[in-house]
Amino acid sequence: MSGRARVRARGIACRPSTPEIGRTQASPSPASVDVSDKDTPSSSGYMGTSRISQKNKDGVSSGDVGCTFLGRGGRIRREFMDLGACTREKLAHVRDCKTGSSGIPVKLVTNLFNLDLPQDWQLYQYYVTYIPDLESRRLRIALLYSHSELFNKAKVFDGAILFLLEKLEEKVTELSSETQRGETVKIVITLTRELPSSSPVCFQVFSIIFKKILKKLSMYQIGRNYYNPSEPVEIPQYKLTLWPGYSVSVSQFESSLLFSADVCYKVLRSETVLEFMTDLYHKTGLSSFTQACEKELLGLIVLTRYNNKTYRIDDIDWSVRPTHTFQKRDGAEISYVDYYKQQYDITLSDLNQPVLVSLLKSKRNDNTEARIAHLIPELCFLTGLTSQAISDFQLMKALAEVTHLSPLGRQQRLARLADDIQRNKDARFELETWGLHFGCQMSLTGRIVPLEKILMQDQVCQPMSAADWSKDVRTCKILSAPSLNKWLIICNNRAEHVNESFLNCLRRVGSSMGFNVDYPKMIKVQEDPAAFLRAIQQHVDADVQLVMCILSSNQKSYYDSIKKYMSSDCPVPSQCVLTRTLNKQGMMMSVATKIAMQMTCKLGGELWAVEIPLKSLMVVGIDVCKDALNKEMAVVGFVASINTRITRWYSRCILQRTTTNVADCLKVLMIGALNKWYQYNHGLPARIIVYRDGVGDGQLKTLIEYEVPQLLSSVAESSSNTSSKLSVIVVRKKCVPRFFMEMNRTLQNPPLGTVVDSEATRPDWYDFYLISQVAHQGTVNPTYYNVIYDNNGLKPDHMQRLTFKLCHLYYNWSGLIRIPAPCQYAHKLTFLVAQSIHKEPSLELANSLFYL
Amino acid sequence: MDDNNIQILIEEVWRKAQDSAFPGSFQVKMLQCESVVDRNFEEVTSTEIKFKPPLYRQRYQFVKDLVDQHEPKKVADLGCGDTSLLWMLKFHKCLELLVGVDTNEEKLRRKEYKLSPLVGDYLKPRERTLTVTLYHGSAVERDSRLLGFDLITCIELIEHLDSEDLATFPKVVFGFLSPAMVVISTPNSEFNPLFPAVTLRDSDHRFEWNRMQFQTWALDVANLYNYSVEFTGVGEPPAGAENVGYCTQIGIFRKNMAKAAELCVPEQHGEHVYKVVFTATYPSLQQEKYRQYAVVNEVISQVYDMRRDLLERLKLQDDRDFADTSADAGTSEAPCQCFQPVLTRFSANMEKTPKPFCVGNVFYVPLERLFSLPKVKHLCINIEMLKTLIADTVMLNSDGSAVMVDIHDEDNDD
Repeated sequence: MSGRARVRARGIACRPSTPEIGRTQASPSPASVDVSDKDTPSSSGYMGTSRISQKNKDGVSSGDVGCTFLGRGGRIRREFMDLGACTREKLAHVRDCKTGSSGIPVKLVTNLFNLDLPQDWQLYQYYVTYIPDLESRRLRIALLYSHSELFNKAKVFDGAILFLLEKLEEKVTELSSETQRGETVKIVITLTRELPSSSPVCFQVFSIIFKKILKKLSMYQIGRNYYNPSEPVEIPQYKLTLWPGYSVSVSQFESSLLFSADVCYKVLRSETVLEFMTDLYHKTGLSSFTQACEKELLGLIVLTRYNNKTYRIDDIDWSVRPTHTFQKRDGAEISYVDYYKQQYDITLSDLNQPVLVSLLKSKRNDNTEARIAHLIPELCFLTGLTSQAISDFQLMKALAEVTHLSPLGRQQRLARLADDIQRNKDARFELETWGLHFGCQMSLTGRIVPLEKILMQDQVCQPMSAADWSKDVRTCKILSAPSLNKWLIICNNRAEHVNESFLNCLRRVGSSMGFNVDYPKMIKVQEDPAAFLRAIQQHVDADVQLVMCILSSNQKSYYDSIKKYMSSDCPVPSQCVLTRTLNKQGMMMSVATKIAMQMTCKLGGELWAVEIPLKSLMVVGIDVCKDALNKEMAVVGFVASINTRITRWYSRCILQRTTTNVADCLKVLMIGALNKWYQYNHGLPARIIVYRDGVGDGQLKTLIEYEVPQLLSSVAESSSNTSSKLSVIVVRKKCVPRFFMEMNRTLQNPPLGTVVDSEATRPDWYDFYLISQVAHQGTVNPTYYNVIYDNNGLKPDHMQRLTFKLCHLYYNWSGLIRIPAPCQYAHKLTFLVAQSIHKEPSLELANSLFYL
Repeated sequence: MDDNNIQILIEEVWRKAQDSAFPGSFQVKMLQCESVVDRNFEEVTSTEIKFKPPLYRQRYQFVKDLVDQHEPKKVADLGCGDTSLLWMLKFHKCLELLVGVDTNEEKLRRKEYKLSPLVGDYLKPRERTLTVTLYHGSAVERDSRLLGFDLITCIELIEHLDSEDLATFPKVVFGFLSPAMVVISTPNSEFNPLFPAVTLRDSDHRFEWNRMQFQTWALDVANLYNYSVEFTGVGEPPAGAENVGYCTQIGIFRKNMAKAAELCVPEQHGEHVYKVVFTATYPSLQQEKYRQYAVVNEVISQVYDMRRDLLERLKLQDDRDFADTSADAGTSEAPCQCFQPVLTRFSANMEKTPKPFCVGNVFYVPLERLFSLPKVKHLCINIEMLKTLIADTVMLNSDGSAVMVDIHDEDNDD
């Protein structure tokens, strides 16, 4: 589990959020690559039966959500837990209809398949006890399965809970078995519930059924997904092997039970640790080899070739050789070489290799002495991608070429899976046993909402493409910009010639956009972080509006130390630029434009706006992530608009000690934002709409019970008479469905502004999908919105269009982004705090977008 | 400390748990019985007889050693139970066909995925193709798919057969299947008095023979079907009771090489009475596809390594020119005291072959040089074959004598 958490945290850290300076990569990647290789199968199929029985004794017949049937993996699928939160029934205005009507209808193909069940389909859940009680889950299963009463019946059993398709005759069935030891064991099977097919518990059973089916199709399970090892894609220059596969699930959608499938890839490394070490040796030479080795390898997860288990490398023991002996469990001494020869018929080629050391986690949580495993590098495959690999542009490009499937390519793979399921005899048999019928791929009708006009100072601009309007607005003046009179440039001695031309360029683009830039004070320093800080301390006074640091290397320590100092100790907006960026031939104008825009924002300027029909509306974005250094700290970013045009923002960030990603400081933040609004607008906003990002699977209920009340009470407290109306919307960047548009006999990504609010949505939620990003390569990922609280009573149409408008307002990118701007701002802020500064930024900066 | 031991421990626990639940399988019940026996000893007398390693493992190890020694290509285990023996055998490089047969289908099914190829089997394929198949069927039924085997094992099987089946058994195994070697193990009843209050070791045993009974039966069978037989066993008796013999007695039957019988290859006609429960084919370098992957992977990664070396040399040269003195610290390395990777790159053979070269921005590696790499040589018979295997995936120069790649990756326009 910790591995999973680590991966997620890293995933956030490494994701290029939206295009920004220095990374003009215009495809916010819809990658479905599971680049984190951390959850390769571990054969820990065992889960404590005692735990289960306890859970069940308390809450056998409580609601669906209480039941946690564990599959063989022992993992609860958390997304099913969310389904228990029925928020729609509390929202009167969408109880009957949650669909909008504006826009042009568009026919979309989905990655969802109908799964037909007989009308009266039910699942019977039984609780099974053994007298005397049996510890072993295997034995429990074996005893139960050996009874003829259950032969040839569709059943799923985890050792305690039994699901049957056909009801047993009696409510309580008693069976008796004899073990080989001659003990008589009584088995009591008690009916606890009858479940309709829409129950989340059934989805878990369906998942188990499909797991069987995919195995029948010769797929290989790794983590939650299924891969086809016989059709690998090799990327030999990086020693990578990609297995194509599918992630599948079954769930209740708006009107029917649907099977969803998406194409994914498993990245495997066809390189053993020994090969990696040998390579490293050639690169580093002897002197620094051991350190380099430890630096690269410690903490990595390796997969053993002979038994398919994963281990974390905790240490390398250079003093042990394969020729050394160890003690087997029976006490006999044997050398590693002989052991692997005898056991696995493997001959080790290098008898000088050291051994890898892995601390084994104790299965039971008693703190007995930690056991260690010695692993032979030659027999261990590396897994996952190192951070070095992830930052390797060429490697990631090679990966993307394979994994970013076009809509058509994706559809072909889906069609093949459906075909395989329908044609395979065993698969069909399995489905029939459970009364399921695998139907056709679902199409639905979405709507393309009208595109927005971009409001500049004196002009209204209808961009050629909503994805990027930088060209369209080049000649327009921005809404407002303070003039920059007193500022500093700190750089090292070598960069001088660049700076002159850059500065001229900056002033030129500045004046054309209406941003007046005076000459700065130039300070030249030695090339080290301390020198930069000293210069800042020396030269920054109360009048300095902005400090620009021109850095010659991409080193994080430079950036971190400058940002840390400038955002809390000495709160002045700062702009870091890499020399390399300034050196780009022929790019100077666009680089300068982007920097000028960022600088404007950091000084509190406004770039553009869109038409917002609602007057007196405050929009808020919240994101939560874990601090990169201290995993016990959560960073809560909160960004609220403070004017009616939604062009000025109040940004705050709080660090809280917690283990979950649930915020408990929202009251302070919300009241702070409302005060600020009052200060500027002399009243409170009539409506508040909160977009909450960074919510994990299974957290929905906590959010409803814990975060929404915080927001409600702060709204209520800040006004004595009529309080502001509030909506809370959960934003998910990852979701199950994919949509393809049929056009000219091929499939394409649906256009920007496509909304889907039927069929692929959930019956118990007020939810919709919106496509607000362009995928130049691959298939677009829709963004999923779930309105969990709403007393604004806006029509779904308006809610959808407002959300789309807000995706236009991220000032770091002149184009649409995949989530509403306040969320992206909050994300950017939490990212800066979590990765670089690790403390709360000064409130003096809260009125500007200082973190862009 | 060793992961396999842990795994073994877990397996044992599971096996014990499971075996007690399934009457009617051939051999595994026996194990359960032994564990009872072992436990009894621990509890009652605590010192007298304790097999270490456990007896079932000794039996498996016996078969494993035999496979090591004779390197059979086709092996079948009749009464394979939970397929533990097959799992142990599947690692042997000599094997091409591994078959398990049991009458308990449910049990075969539950463990079937244990015999599937692992991730590692795909990443580093075997030399020879191995197919593992599990059949639901009985040792007294004839199925032509089991003809022509090198070794058939019947571990703790015959004592579960009633007299009728026992009479059919030799006809099927020796007369019909007629493999080059048969291994049969069965309890030695002379050992039983050493166990407290045990008459038969398992309630499903129809009989337990003493050494004389088993050997008489075995010799008769061997004579009838032209085999020679040798007797041994596992499970040494305790000191003082040596005269009872091994706890498990084993007969190894070898077919006498009769010229005609050997020449006539068994025809694959007729009876397929067994039901296939599971089958998996392991990827191997014998399969064109995997050989090609292996060759391409090796060639490309070597080409890129060579290119990197070249670029680094050039860079070093640059730096040196720049820093005018050649005070390179790298030359005075201390001899490695710990780990020195085996250098496969610059073998003497390879040095004789034409070197990689650069023309403009293109880096060429002659196929001849690549062919001198031991791994490539192992996979390809000749340069022509190398060329055919890589032609689809890499760029060759016009006369097809060298692999071409750009010396620099295309500009990464970040």
